[in-house]
Amino acid sequence: MTEHFSRRDFLKLASVGAATSAILTGCGPASRYVTREPYIQMPEYTYNGQSTHYATTCRECAAGCGLVVRTMQGRALKVEGNKNHPVNLGKTCVRGQATLHGLYNPDRVQEPAKQSKRGSRDYSNLDWDAAIGVVAEALKNTKPSEMAFLMGMAPDHLFDLVSDLAKAIGAPAPIRFGARGMFEARATLSKATEVLFGQAAMPFFDMSKADLTFSFGANFLETWISPVAFTRGFANMRRGGGHGRGTLVHFESRMSQTASKADMWIPIKPGTEGLVALAIGRIAAEARGGVMPAAFADVGVEAAAKASGVHAEKLDELGKLFASAGAALAIPGGAALGHSNGLETAEAVLALNALVGGLGRAGGMYLTPLAPMQAEYHRPANLKEMAAFVEKLKGGEVKTLFIHGVNPVFELPKSLGFENALKSVPTVISFATFPDETAVQADYVFPDHHSLESWGYQRVAAGSAQSALSGAQPTVSPYYNTRATADVFLAAAALAGGKAAEALSFKDEVEFIQSKIVALVGESDGFFSAPEINTFTAYFQQYGGWWKTVDELSTPSGDALGKAIQVAEAKFAGEGEFYFHPFVSPVLAEAGANKPWLQEVPDPTTTVMWSSWVEIHPETAHELGVDNDDIVLITSEAGAVEAVVYKYPAIRPDTIAMPFGQGHTAYGRYAEGRGANPADLFGEQVNGAGDLAFAGMRVKVEKTGKTYPLSRLESRMGVYGEALGEEH
Amino acid sequence: MTTELKISEISANFAEGEQGKWGMAIDMDICTGCQACVAACAMENNVPFVGEADSGYGRSMHWIRTERFWEGEFPEIKMTPYQPVLCQQCGHAPCEPVCPAFATVHSQAEALNLQVYNRCVGTRYCANNCPYQVRSFNWRDYERPEPLPNQLNPDVTVRRRGVMEKCTFCIQRIHRAEDVAKSEGREVADGEFAPACAQACPADAIVFGRIDDPESAVSKMARGARGFHLLEELGTLPAVTYLKGG
Repeated sequence: MTEHFSRRDFLKLASVGAATSAILTGCGPASRYVTREPYIQMPEYTYNGQSTHYATTCRECAAGCGLVVRTMQGRALKVEGNKNHPVNLGKTCVRGQATLHGLYNPDRVQEPAKQSKRGSRDYSNLDWDAAIGVVAEALKNTKPSEMAFLMGMAPDHLFDLVSDLAKAIGAPAPIRFGARGMFEARATLSKATEVLFGQAAMPFFDMSKADLTFSFGANFLETWISPVAFTRGFANMRRGGGHGRGTLVHFESRMSQTASKADMWIPIKPGTEGLVALAIGRIAAEARGGVMPAAFADVGVEAAAKASGVHAEKLDELGKLFASAGAALAIPGGAALGHSNGLETAEAVLALNALVGGLGRAGGMYLTPLAPMQAEYHRPANLKEMAAFVEKLKGGEVKTLFIHGVNPVFELPKSLGFENALKSVPTVISFATFPDETAVQADYVFPDHHSLESWGYQRVAAGSAQSALSGAQPTVSPYYNTRATADVFLAAAALAGGKAAEALSFKDEVEFIQSKIVALVGESDGFFSAPEINTFTAYFQQYGGWWKTVDELSTPSGDALGKAIQVAEAKFAGEGEFYFHPFVSPVLAEAGANKPWLQEVPDPTTTVMWSSWVEIHPETAHELGVDNDDIVLITSEAGAVEAVVYKYPAIRPDTIAMPFGQGHTAYGRYAEGRGANPADLFGEQVNGAGDLAFAGMRVKVEKTGKTYPLSRLESRMGVYGEALGEEH
Repeated sequence: MTTELKISEISANFAEGEQGKWGMAIDMDICTGCQACVAACAMENNVPFVGEADSGYGRSMHWIRTERFWEGEFPEIKMTPYQPVLCQQCGHAPCEPVCPAFATVHSQAEALNLQVYNRCVGTRYCANNCPYQVRSFNWRDYERPEPLPNQLNPDVTVRRRGVMEKCTFCIQRIHRAEDVAKSEGREVADGEFAPACAQACPADAIVFGRIDDPESAVSKMARGARGFHLLEELGTLPAVTYLKGG
C-alpha cells in the first residue's frame, strides 16, 4: 500500500466506486412496482449504500410540482424537487417536504373495510375481491342517473377515468371540489377573465420580470394556486428581474405571511379591495394622460378612500406609483375575492393590468396555456354548484356516492349540511387514504394508495409558462393492503359488464394512463419525443412528465377597459361587531394536519405549533378583557366555534382572523381534536361567480373564562413588553 | 495452514483531511418565511418531533428556525424580515471550549463545529454558551410510532435522550459529494450539492458552497454590501452570512 491511502479512504472509495452519480430511474413498463425488500435480500438494482431516485408528482395540492424521491432499499427517505420540472424547478414547499409523514403515517387506512354503522368507526375488514364486488354491484344496480362521483382536485388521471366511466354509463359527470379551490376563488378568477377578455382561463402573473406588484389579498407566498412557482417569481422580482429591485404592495386587513414580505402593507377595510383598485385605476389613468377609460370613468376617489379607510393622499401616491412603474402588475386573490362583490373586485384588479399595458407584456399578465391533451379550461366546482349538489343529496336523488381525494365534511361550510345530506344517500363509498371525517361517514372505505405509491398524471393548471403534464409513478411499493382506485374501478367495471366494461376495457391503471398519453407520442415540440408508447412511457416516468420546450403564454384580448366596472358595497352576513377573516393555514393548508412534523413547524407569522388560534389586535383584546391563551366564543350567523386568542399586533382592530386547517374530528391521532375549524362559521353567501363569500361575515366574540396555552416558538417574553414588567 | 492473499496495491494522490471551508449566505430580502427549510431539515436529519406540550416548553428540536420580530404599532407596524437561524458554524465557537467531554469539537478539515453524539453526556453547557440558541437537547426519547421510522435517513444517526444536537451543514451530503468527486479525481464543483434547507428553498434565498473559493456563488453573495454576520460584535467568526432585507 502506498503511504497516502488510509483504511478510511479505502472504505469510502469502495462504497462510492460502484455507482457514483445520482440515478434517476424510471422502471420500465415491465416492472410496474418497485419492491420493498428486507436488507438481506435486496432487489438487483440497489447497491449497498446507494439511493435510487424516482421522479413523480406531488399531490399535497393540485399545483402539480415535480418531485424526485430518494429511496433506499425500497423505503422512501427524502422528497426533493425535480430540477427539470417547469412548475417548481427543483424546489418544494413545506407540505411537499412532509409528504413522507403521510406515506408512513401510523393512522392510514390499512385495508378495505365496511363500517357497521356510519360514524361508529366499527370496521370489519373485507378482502379486495369483496370490495371490488361491492363497487361492481353499485355500478350495476344503481340507476346511472342516481349515481354521483365526488372527486378532489388531484389526481387528473383518475378524474379522467371516472369521467369516461360516467359518460359511458350515462351517469352525471363527476364533481370536483377542494377547500383550496374554494379559498383561492378559482371560479371567480376564470369568470373575471371571461368577462374582461372573453375567455375563461387561469391568469398567469409574470412576477419575475415585474418592477411593481400590487397584490389585492392574494396569498401567493403561502398556499395560493401554485405557491412554489409564485415564490420563485417573487424572488426574481426582488432580485431585479425587471429593472431593479421590485416592489410589493399588499392590500389585506391582516398582515399575512405574503403581506409581511411587502414593502408596503395597506390594512384595508375588508370588502373594499375592488373600490380601491378602481380608485388606483382612475388616478393612474389620470397620471398617464390621454382619454379616461370607461372602466374607471365613474369612479369616486374620495368615496373609495372613505369606504376603505385608506387616505386619499395614500391612494394618490399608490395610483401614481402604479402608473409610473416600468412593469406594473396587479393580482387579485384570497379574501378580496371571498366577498359578495368578489367577482367585480377581480375584474377591477385585472383591469389595472390592461390600463398600464400589462397584457401580454413581460412582467405583466398572460393567460396560462392549457395542459397537453386539454381542450378547454376546467375549474373545480364553486360553492353554488356544491350547494346544488348537497340539495340533490338531501332530496334523495343520489343512491350511490363515490368519494375520492376530498373531505367535504371538513371542508365545506358546516351550514351547508353535507354530513346530514349523506344520511339520504343509501350507499357511500369512500376511497380515502386517511380516515378523514368524510370516510368516517361512509359505509365502505376502500383505501387508495398514498400518492408516493401511485401512478398517475396531473395537468399543470398554473405556474408554468410551458404547457405541461406532470407524471406520477410509485416510488415505493404499497406499504399497506391498499389498491389504486383506478384499478378498483377498472376491475369493478369489468365485473359489472355492459357499457362500463366496454368503456374501461383496460388491463390496469398503467394501460389506462398509456391510452391517454399515447396522444403525445410523436409530438415534436416536447422536451423529449418517442416513436412509440413504451419508450414514451419510460421517458415520461424517468423525467416526471412531458412538457413543451417553448412558452405558450397567450395575450388576453378584448377591450377590458371599454365598459364601466361597478363594485358594489360588500354585504356582510351576521350582526357581530367584528369582520371575520379566515385564511388557509400557510403551513398545514387544508390537509396537512395529520402529518406530525407539519404540526411542529411553526406558523410563519404567529409561530404557533400544534393548534389553531384567533388573531385579535392587542387593543381589541384589552377591550374584550381577554389575553393570550384565553378561549373566546366566536359566533356567526351560521354557527359558533371556540378558539384560543393570539394577540396579533398587525391586524385591523375591527377584524379578527382565523386559520383554516385544524379542528378535525377525525383524520388520525395528530389531527383529531386539535384547534377549531372556521368552516363551522361559514354561511352560504356567494359572490357573482358562485364562489363562497367566506370573508363576508361579521361575528361576535365573547370571553369564555377558559384558557388553553398555545405552543409557540417565539419567546413569550418581550413580544408585548411582558419581559419589562409592563401591564399588557 | 495459511493462504497468501493477493491484494493489488491501490495508489491515490490525495490525503485525508484536506482543507475546505464551507459556508452559507442567506438573503433575507428574498426569504419568504415559508418554512420549507425547516421541514426539509427535519426530514433529512431525522430530527424528532416532540409534540404539543414539550414544544410549548421550548423543547422543540428544530435545527433551523425562522425568526421574526415586530417593530412599531398598528397601522405603521412592520415585521422584520424573516431570518432563518441555524448553527452558524463559528470559526471561534463559544460552544466548544465549555464541553467537558470533547463532544463539541472543531473540525479543522471542514471548518465545522462537530457534535459527537456518543461522547455527549448532556451537561448542556454548550447550549448555554451558544449566543444563537441553535442547539437543541433531547429531553426525552421522542416517540416515532411505526411505520414512521421507515423514513429515517440511514446516513444520519438517530439521537437518544440526553444528547445535544444541532445543524451539521448536512455533513453527510458534504462527505458524499467529496467522496464522489474524489473517486472521479476532481474537486467538488460549486453548486453540485446543497444541504437540505438550501435544496428545498423555493426562493433560493439560501446558498451554500465553499467560502474559501472567491468565485463560488456563496462567496460572491457574501461579499455584497448587504452582508452581515449575526451578533458580529461577539467575534465568533460565523460561516453564515446574512444579507439585509428591505
